[in-house]
Order: sequence, then C-alpha cells, then structure tokens
Amino acid sequence: MKLNAFTWIIVTLAVTAWVFILPLEAVATILVLQLVLLLYFKRSKTMLAAIGGLAVFTGMMVLLQLLFGSPLNVSLFGGLRMLVMTLAFLCMLATTRIQSIAKALVDRFHLPVEYAFMLTAALRFVPNFLEDSSITLDAQSCRGYSNRGNALKRLLSYVVVIRPLVMRAVAKSETLALSMELRGFGANTYKNMPKEELTLTDFAVLVIVVVLSTYPFWKKFLPV
Amino acid sequence: MIEAKEINFAYRRGIPVLFDINCKIEDGEFVALLGHNGSGKTTLSRLFMALDHPRSGQILVDGEDIINYEPADLADKVGYVFQNPDLQILADTVYEEVAYGPRVKKLPEENIKTNVKAALQAMGLKGLEAKYPRILSFGQKRRLGVAAALALNPRMLILDEITNGQDAAEQAAMMEYLKALNEEKGTTIILITHDMNVVRKYARRAIVLTDGRLVFSGTPEELFEGDQPVERWGLRRPVVSELASRLGVSAASCEEFCEEVRKGGAAL
Repeated sequence: MKLNAFTWIIVTLAVTAWVFILPLEAVATILVLQLVLLLYFKRSKTMLAAIGGLAVFTGMMVLLQLLFGSPLNVSLFGGLRMLVMTLAFLCMLATTRIQSIAKALVDRFHLPVEYAFMLTAALRFVPNFLEDSSITLDAQSCRGYSNRGNALKRLLSYVVVIRPLVMRAVAKSETLALSMELRGFGANTYKNMPKEELTLTDFAVLVIVVVLSTYPFWKKFLPV
Repeated sequence: MIEAKEINFAYRRGIPVLFDINCKIEDGEFVALLGHNGSGKTTLSRLFMALDHPRSGQILVDGEDIINYEPADLADKVGYVFQNPDLQILADTVYEEVAYGPRVKKLPEENIKTNVKAALQAMGLKGLEAKYPRILSFGQKRRLGVAAALALNPRMLILDEITNGQDAAEQAAMMEYLKALNEEKGTTIILITHDMNVVRKYARRAIVLTDGRLVFSGTPEELFEGDQPVERWGLRRPVVSELASRLGVSAASCEEFCEEVRKGGAAL
C-alpha cells in the first residue's frame, strides 16, 4: 500500500487533531496501527531505537505531569496523545520520500518553494548533524576529555561541541545555498519532478480521514 | 607498543568490517597502514585509540587490554588525527585549539605555552595563533589537527590521511618533521595514506588491509619491489619502484634510481 505524499500530510495533520477529539480507545487503536505500520515498512534497529526513545520520552512526560499534580488517567492520556502525534510524523517520514513531501507542499498546499525546501533541508540535516556531533565528541575525547561520569558531565561535554557544530552547520548551509543557486534552484525546482497522482487507495484513506474528523458531529447519533 | 590479537569487528548495522586481524606495532616504528577505500584501515586505527571496541579479540596498548578504555584514557600515550580536519576543531583561535588537550589534562600554563608554540612551529602555523581556525585553508586545518595531537607529546601518533590536500612543500615539511620525531624522539607513527611515494620514502613497515583482512606486513621495499599483487589490493606502486622493477634494479628514491641507471649506462 503506497500512499501519495499529499495523503500522508493530510493523515498526519488529521491524527494530530484526532488525538484531541477521539475517545481513548480510538487513540489507542491508532497507536497500535501506527506501530504495525512502522514495523511493517521499516523493521530496522534504528526504527526500534526511535520508537524506544519516543516511549521513554513519553514516560518522562507522564511522570512530569504526575509530579505537577495531574491525575494518573489524565497524565497517561496526555502521554498517549503526544506519542501518537509524534508517531504520525514518523510514519510519514518512514514511508514517504522527503522530496515527495516537499513537492506535495508546493503543488497542492501552494507553500512557497523556499519554505518547502527549508523543511526538507532541516530534515536532511538531522542525520548529518548527529554524525558530525559524534565525530566531534570523539575528537574531544581523543584530546583527553572524558565523557565518563554523571549525566551533568555528559551534558557539559555536549555544550562544548554545540558551538563548533552550529558554526559548521552554518558553513555547510552556505555551501548548500551556493550549490543550489548554481544549479538553478527556484520556482520550478519541484515542478520538474514527475507528478504523483492520487490513487483509489488515497481517496479511500481521505474518506476515512473525513469520517473520523467529523466524529464530534455524528457521535450523538451513535447508540449508547 | 600496540598489538591486535584475533580482531573481528562489525559496526552497528552488523556488516563485518575486520576479520581475524593480528599485528604488532613496536615502539619507535614508522608504519604505513594501507589498503583500498573501505578496506578497514580507519576502523582498525579507531580500535587502536579505543574509539570503538572489537567484537572479539583484544587490542593491547603497552601490554594492557583497552576493552574498557575510552579515548581520553589513552590521550597521554596516543595522539589521533582524524581524516576530516573540520570535524575536530573545537576552539575559536588556532592557539586555543592546540592548547585544548593540554588544558584538559591540566598541564601548567607554562608547559601549555611551550607545547603549543613547539607544535605550531613544527606544523608551520607560527604567526596564525590568533586566527579563527575555520578560515584556514584545508591543508592548514590538517596541520592544525596534527599540531593539536602533538601538543600532548604522545608516544604514538595515528594519522589518518593527513597528506591529502597538502601542497608538495607543505607535505614534505610535515613528513620530514614526523620522520625526525620518529628517529630522534622514538615516537611511533602509524600513517594511513593513499600516497605510495610517501610510504616508499618515510615508512619502515607497511601493513596492507584488503576487504577487512590483513594481507601483507613487511617493508615498503618488499611490498613494491617484490611480486606482491599490489594492484589487486587497490594500491599503486610508486613511479620510481615501477621503473626500477621494470629495469630490474633496486631503488628507494629518485637519487638511487638515477645512480643505478648511471651505473648501468657506464657498464654498457
């Protein structure tokens, strides 16, 4: 099942709204569906690590809410909402090419090319940034700085490398901008890519999106 | 002394990179670590510095297994210069960049000054102390990386492709300094390079890796003048060795080659 980038964007936006309007059971079902989808499309260690990381982060959010006096059910539902919203983006990124997302944003949502590119560039920079930070931390360690110790010390070691990493990212973005200009980046950048038409599956998914998004209007007709 | 015993290594993705590596690098050696791109040279050197740890086997530094070490534990003994000079710059000035290691090691300020001055002088960066490191040329950044490693006065130096991006004069000056360091101070040099002329001229031993396996360990003469399948290993004989080999003479340098050719001419 391959969905158009446009459909994925709509689904992602819809899921972020659904977590606030649908009942707990429905949100939990969406979570299960998301996990099945993610593991079906990308069953890699990286994906498992990403899901695990998000789960830990959610746990921390729940704990924080509890610490600030929220009841357990409210905290858990809050955490679940956040997890489902984040996983929606992860599903879109795991199943759709970033270029296709950018093209859909320009063609169908009429977002200016520059903004669409900013989004794709930002997403593309993340793995580069992580790789660079790992090498810089290695370089720091090779010169005698130990990362051993408590979380604060490890955090401090990151603080030292943040500045050089940001400076390098800025330098890289300048090179990227120049290279794009030399290759004729502009209004036609995404228009030259082959057009991706909506299929029957896309329409079916979009109908489901409409049905679920209008839940507050038709829920009163449901048998109690 | 660095020793690799039965080393096997794979990165997180699980693809094996090194297979059953056994080698020993004695104190005071000048070793060239050679191989095609992706042969495992950098990976092996990272294991030597405890930047990664083997899946099986042992890396011994001065007879001690470094499995529980982190690079900082070895920084006094081993200096490591990365392939990409941009990624190892941490400070805002050339001086502070070189002083970073000694400061972390809490050396007295007087020693830091002396070490930094000597390292900058050795790498031809004197006069650039106040400059912002990112505005330096690629070659200068490479030499800055070497200077930063030298500032801690390590007994061993691992240099990953430091000859790339240097002009001929810069490269010669840097290599001559490393040669002097090796001969006079007994510093062990492990040089990863694709420049076979540098290997022929400076290294006293060559270790060749191909597809993660160690296939050769011997002198550069044995490597380039014998019947080793160097091309199959992704290497190229230095021009002098190639010519000498075709003429059936032995020559380590242009001068020796010319001498041999003159002798041959005179004999005719």
